Amino acid sequence: MKSLLKKIVILLFVSAAITLLANTLLPHRIPWIEDWSNHIESKAAQKKIDVIPLRTAIDFYQIKSHRFIDARAAEEYANGHIPRALSLPFQTLDHHFEKVEKLFDSEMPLIIYCSNRDCDDALLLAIELQNMGITQLSLYIDGFERWKEYGGSVEKTK
Amino acid sequence: MISKNKTYRFAYLLASYMIGLFLLSGCYKIFFPSEFSLAVYRFHLLPDFWINITALYLAWLEFTCAICLLFISRYRVAALIIAFLLLSIFTYGIIINLLRGTHFGCGCFSPSPLVKPMSGLNVIRNGALLLLVGLALFSHKKSLKS
Repeated sequence: MKSLLKKIVILLFVSAAITLLANTLLPHRIPWIEDWSNHIESKAAQKKIDVIPLRTAIDFYQIKSHRFIDARAAEEYANGHIPRALSLPFQTLDHHFEKVEKLFDSEMPLIIYCSNRDCDDALLLAIELQNMGITQLSLYIDGFERWKEYGGSVEKTK
Repeated sequence: MISKNKTYRFAYLLASYMIGLFLLSGCYKIFFPSEFSLAVYRFHLLPDFWINITALYLAWLEFTCAICLLFISRYRVAALIIAFLLLSIFTYGIIINLLRGTHFGCGCFSPSPLVKPMSGLNVIRNGALLLLVGLALFSHKKSLKS
C-alpha cells in the first residue's frame, strides 16, 4: 500500500515536471495564468447570452429553426455570409432600424455572429438587441471564418 | 489454479491496455493546449487562475498514465488509480454541465468545433471506462492472490 502510494505520487510529480518543461520549451506554449474574463464567451455569459459553437450552428441552420444575423460590416457580408443571414452591422446599427423592427415580429430565435472568436461586434449587437427586449438570441462564437473553413455553405451578395 | 491466474492476468492486461489506448487517444490536448484550455474553461468549474494550469497538467498526466498503462508494468496499478480519479472528475464535470445545459463538446478527443455537444452518451462511455478500470484492479488483485 505504501509502495503504491509512493508510485502514485511519483507519477503525479513526473507529470508536473513534464508539464513545466513542455510549456517552457515547446513552441505551442500558453500562458500559465490567463484572464478569461476578457474573452467574448465570458462576457456573453456575464450578460446571460447563450453561446453556441459551430456544430450547433450547423444543426440549427440545417433544420431552419433559427434566424442568422450577420453583425459584420456590409462589405464583409457582401463578400460572403451564411445563407439566409440578415445583415445587421453593429457599427452602423443606427441606419438599420427598419430591419431591427422586423426582428420583433419574427418568431424565430436569433443566432448572431461576426468573423471569429475574437471579434466583439456580434456580442455587442446581441447585448443591444437584448436591451431592446429581444430575449431569444444566441451568440455563434466560432464566427464566419470557421463556418467557411469547415465547409459551411456560403452565399455572396452581388 | 494456474489457468485461473492466467485468466485474471489476461483480463488485467487487456483492460489496462484498453484504458491506456483510450487515454492516449486524447493526446491532442498536448499539441493544442490553447484549445484544451478553452474546453476546460467551457466546463465553468474552475476559477480563471486554475484553468490553463489544470489544462496543461491534465493533458500530460493523462499521457503519462497512458504510457505507464501500455509500457511500464511497474507503474501500471498506480496509473490505473490515477485514471480512475481522472475519469471520475471528467464524468462529474460532464454531468454538471449536462444539468446546466451546454452546447459544447467535452473536449475529450478533438479540438474540432464540429464535435457533437456533450450528452448522456459521454456519461455512459465514462461509466463503462470506470468499470473497466475497476475490472483491471480487481483482476490484478485476484491474480496476485491465486
